[in-house]
Amino acid sequence: MVDTLNRRDFIGATAVAGAAMLLEACKSDSGAQTAAVKKSSLNTINVALVGYGEEGKVLLESLLNIEGIRLVALCDIWDYHRGEGQRYLEKLGNEVRAYENYEDLLAKEKDLQAVIVATPDFWHAPMTNTCLKAGLHVYCEKMMSNTIDGARSMVKTMRDTGKLLQIGHQRRSNPRYLFTLNRLLHEAQFCGRLTAVNGQWNRAVKEDFGWPKKYEMPASMLAKYGYKDMHQFRNWRWFKGLGGGPLSDLGAHQIDIFNWWLGVTPKSVVASGGLDYFKNHDWYDNAMVIYEYPLEQGVARAFYQVQTTTSAGGGYYEMFMGDDGTIKMSEDPSICAIYREARANAVSWDDLVQKGYVAAKPVAATDATKVDVRETAQLAEYEIPVFFNKPPHQPHLENFFNAIRGTAKLNCPADEAFTSEYVIHKANEAVAAENKLHITNEEVKA
Amino acid sequence: MAASTEIRVLPAQKNAWDFTFAFWALRLWLGARALFVGIQKFAAYKSVAQPLIDPSTGQPDASGVMVNVSVKSYAFANYAGIPTALRDKFAHDPLLPKFALTAFDHILGPAFLLAGIMLILGLGTRLSLVIQGVLFIALTIGLILIDQNDGVAYLGIHIGLVAAAFMLAQHNRFAVLKKW
Repeated sequence: MVDTLNRRDFIGATAVAGAAMLLEACKSDSGAQTAAVKKSSLNTINVALVGYGEEGKVLLESLLNIEGIRLVALCDIWDYHRGEGQRYLEKLGNEVRAYENYEDLLAKEKDLQAVIVATPDFWHAPMTNTCLKAGLHVYCEKMMSNTIDGARSMVKTMRDTGKLLQIGHQRRSNPRYLFTLNRLLHEAQFCGRLTAVNGQWNRAVKEDFGWPKKYEMPASMLAKYGYKDMHQFRNWRWFKGLGGGPLSDLGAHQIDIFNWWLGVTPKSVVASGGLDYFKNHDWYDNAMVIYEYPLEQGVARAFYQVQTTTSAGGGYYEMFMGDDGTIKMSEDPSICAIYREARANAVSWDDLVQKGYVAAKPVAATDATKVDVRETAQLAEYEIPVFFNKPPHQPHLENFFNAIRGTAKLNCPADEAFTSEYVIHKANEAVAAENKLHITNEEVKA
Repeated sequence: MAASTEIRVLPAQKNAWDFTFAFWALRLWLGARALFVGIQKFAAYKSVAQPLIDPSTGQPDASGVMVNVSVKSYAFANYAGIPTALRDKFAHDPLLPKFALTAFDHILGPAFLLAGIMLILGLGTRLSLVIQGVLFIALTIGLILIDQNDGVAYLGIHIGLVAAAFMLAQHNRFAVLKKW
């Protein structure tokens, strides 16, 4: 009893303490933002943000946390977003000059070193190419472009100008992804021989984005920037010629992880999908894709699905399955897990636990009653106890700025991103073709 | 031949010292037990984020990941007489009125601290044993009410030791206050 009374229910307490620390660590340093504007240097990098939509807002929050970065200009064709961004930054003491047109911005801002492009996909290539040619380093959101040719042109411009071009596959700089890839998949080899990969991002039905009527852009302006109407402008991801649909919007992040972690590109893709649910979109709202990856030890097949359905069913993740174990990885740490097969003896799991690389789940796996004799035993489940206390996009932006300063190498340069994104474009093609498409090593290179 | 310097201890005296040592053993054990039970009531574990260390280099892992390390600290603000998990169970028992639970929660830690210090110093030895006996009995009743029979048996050992200490208390020596 005495011992029992001594025990603190400290799990709850530590969770609160951990959350408090995360919040603290995530606070932006508003003091740094109010500093007087100085000539940009390698220590302080002057940056412009082009595109203040959903993604631009996410990037801005990360950007404000990074020391030595001064946001000096903001560009968005929609005055509603532009004004919102300007007012928000003003409240933080960070006055920025706002522009409707990115070419005006480039003409007037003479002390820029880098531009962050977070506009709809079909604007990525022209904007990025212009910025690179203007002598600026560019961080461009994924997908690089809505077309393969557009993406290829970005790699060419990057090479021609010698400027840095980072593509926003932010998981490539995520410390948890880097740790799991390097320590667990490569160093510990605990998956054994990889035989399959499974990824998904299903999402529930959601209303299309709307807009306040009084802020509706005139038809002439919409046409000038490539949109048919306001609905298309607000929901560009669903329209051919503007975006790439869910496979590009959501799948790109995860299929990029397939390519990155497996270290090769697939040799073929077969897919099925369609515009089954929405009546006012262009792109498929359901898609299932299977890639064949030629690994050294044999073929590994990777299945990916993005469906318009309930968001139940495990959330969004990338699962790497071998004959010794499985890693289930996600940007959401609560979804991550690793599973060890009973036959796996190549890895000392006690050693991994001792190093702090893995932790046994609080509830141990039990031997469930087998329904079928062919069922394999339930696996021991572990968790990956590591974390990082920053917004998900911040490490990738930091990597970009550190590369500008010469203290790091880009984690996702455009040529590598092209290789990865090429096979995502091919998945959309495979849905349309309704048959298996072969992919050569040559065609995936920019 | 030099005279022998051996101290001759009579059988009765030798026996008395054995009892004294036996009591001291019990006195110090029960005293330390009570004192540190009381101190532990002011302890809490907090999670502290630290960089994961690469065992091969002793430096933070290159990925930049963090791990939570559990760190124990003592403070008055940490005080919890009855842990939350048990308090919730007690709160649902109709035989335990809320005011009694609250009062017991407040006095449990200080009472153990007081009893422990008194017993170690020999400051009212029997009185401190009475306090410990009452606390162990009260805790036993609580555990019976919430069906924690393992804990009841465990407390039974403590009560046995308190009873043994009472039986040997007449052999107590080196006490600050022999009375009580």
